Amino acid sequence: MRPFKVIRPTNEKEAMEQVSKGNASYLAAGTDLLNRIKEHVASPDSVVDLKSLPGMNTIEVTDQGIWIGALVRLSAVSSHTDVLSRFPAVCETIIHAATPQIRNMATVGGNLCQKPRCWYLRHEGYSCVKNGGTGCWARDGENEFHGIFDNQICSATQPSNLAPVLVAHEAVIEIASKDGVRELTADQFFIGPSSDPLREVSLEEGEFVRRVMLPESTRAGSWAYEEAREKQSFDWAQASVTLLLDRGGRKGDHRVVLGAVSPAPLRRSDIEKKIDGSDDEIAEASGIAGAGATPLSENGYKIPMLKGLIGKAIRSARSRKEG
Amino acid sequence: MEQQDHSAMEHQQVFKKLSVNGEPHSVGFSVHHSLLEVLREQMQLTGTKHGCELGECGTCTVLIDGQPVLSCLELAVECEGREITTVEGMMIGNDLHPLQEAFADLGAAQCGYCTPGILMTAKALLEENPAPTRDEVVSALAGNLCRCTGYHKILEGIDWAAAKMRGDEDFRPPREAIYGDPLPGEEPSDA
Repeated sequence: MRPFKVIRPTNEKEAMEQVSKGNASYLAAGTDLLNRIKEHVASPDSVVDLKSLPGMNTIEVTDQGIWIGALVRLSAVSSHTDVLSRFPAVCETIIHAATPQIRNMATVGGNLCQKPRCWYLRHEGYSCVKNGGTGCWARDGENEFHGIFDNQICSATQPSNLAPVLVAHEAVIEIASKDGVRELTADQFFIGPSSDPLREVSLEEGEFVRRVMLPESTRAGSWAYEEAREKQSFDWAQASVTLLLDRGGRKGDHRVVLGAVSPAPLRRSDIEKKIDGSDDEIAEASGIAGAGATPLSENGYKIPMLKGLIGKAIRSARSRKEG
Repeated sequence: MEQQDHSAMEHQQVFKKLSVNGEPHSVGFSVHHSLLEVLREQMQLTGTKHGCELGECGTCTVLIDGQPVLSCLELAVECEGREITTVEGMMIGNDLHPLQEAFADLGAAQCGYCTPGILMTAKALLEENPAPTRDEVVSALAGNLCRCTGYHKILEGIDWAAAKMRGDEDFRPPREAIYGDPLPGEEPSDA
């Protein structure tokens, strides 16, 4: 692996100062960063280890919601009693992510900030709009696992399994910035290439995620998470559907968020409106899954896949409620 | 792409106390080295294997504070103050761990390259859950690839080791799973 220095800041201000000096990257668990260094697509001269900062590795349960520190490991979130009982969809998406070993290592903040899994972006021989060049190789190349929505500028998809469920729960992302702490909702946090092709999240230079809040007011009456992937043991999702029904006890306050089909999690309020308890809600909701899609040469299969997943999610959420 | 001269870059060296298999070790290494590199190259603990190096195959699995993690993606410098267990630390005194014994008796290894990682993952599972269902074993092993065995003998080996560790003396692995000589007290098969 290309050599780098490890800097261990003792406070947030120092972390931000260190990362702005020269060619430096933040390090959380490193399951993505070290991977990219080994694949020669990241080459920091130094890494600023956020794990040396105090207070970012705790889960705090309050009446307003649950605050999850950015450095809490994924497996610690999915096995946390209060997260399980109050936000079970979050735990379900985590246990579909990566492998048990990676879930024991990877952090929540790192999961949200990982780079897309596009095989052109992760190959040192390709320059594209996402790493400072121009164009998108996948559009006319191998694009089986790429996006079918908002894929004109760059067709890579948002790789975080947590991202869609955070959008569905309107999670608050708390960010450490030079001017103090600022907050974004999850749907503001994840951005597409039209905002800035070089970034997938709205973190400015030097900023990092401190913690994430799951608001009590968005607890689901019932829920489902359905994901399709090629390999069952572990794999990246080809498409996923996160469904929350009757959030906060409000009848009809549903959320449908699609994952792995677009550069940012894709909320579909048109599908939400079709979930009305009628006999044909599954046909109606899944029927419009492909509205607005612009599939590429090899990924048109994602539309029927989404239809199936939406149907499965509605059935699963309805039976969970009745059960 | 711009070529970087790696040799010109100064390596930041550190000297750390790592606790491996219950023993403290003082080790010097470059700060960018993974735990896998330090275990194998500085400490000569070569039981832990280099596989994909990218977190996809699981063969470098070790336990840190009892949990399976990938030593290829863990910087050694981050491991100070944590308890590291490798396959070399599995034996109990002079006896094989029940998992090692069951894997040997059932031929649950072919090329053997994935075996250390699978043993570590299985050890963590059985310490947390002494009587896992087959589904629980399969889920726990989701991050460990084996390209030889087809997994059946591995799963049967873990079932048998779990039974031994629980003191369930009546448990017998399926006869067709047993490799070579019959188990003590069993008739040789016709094959």
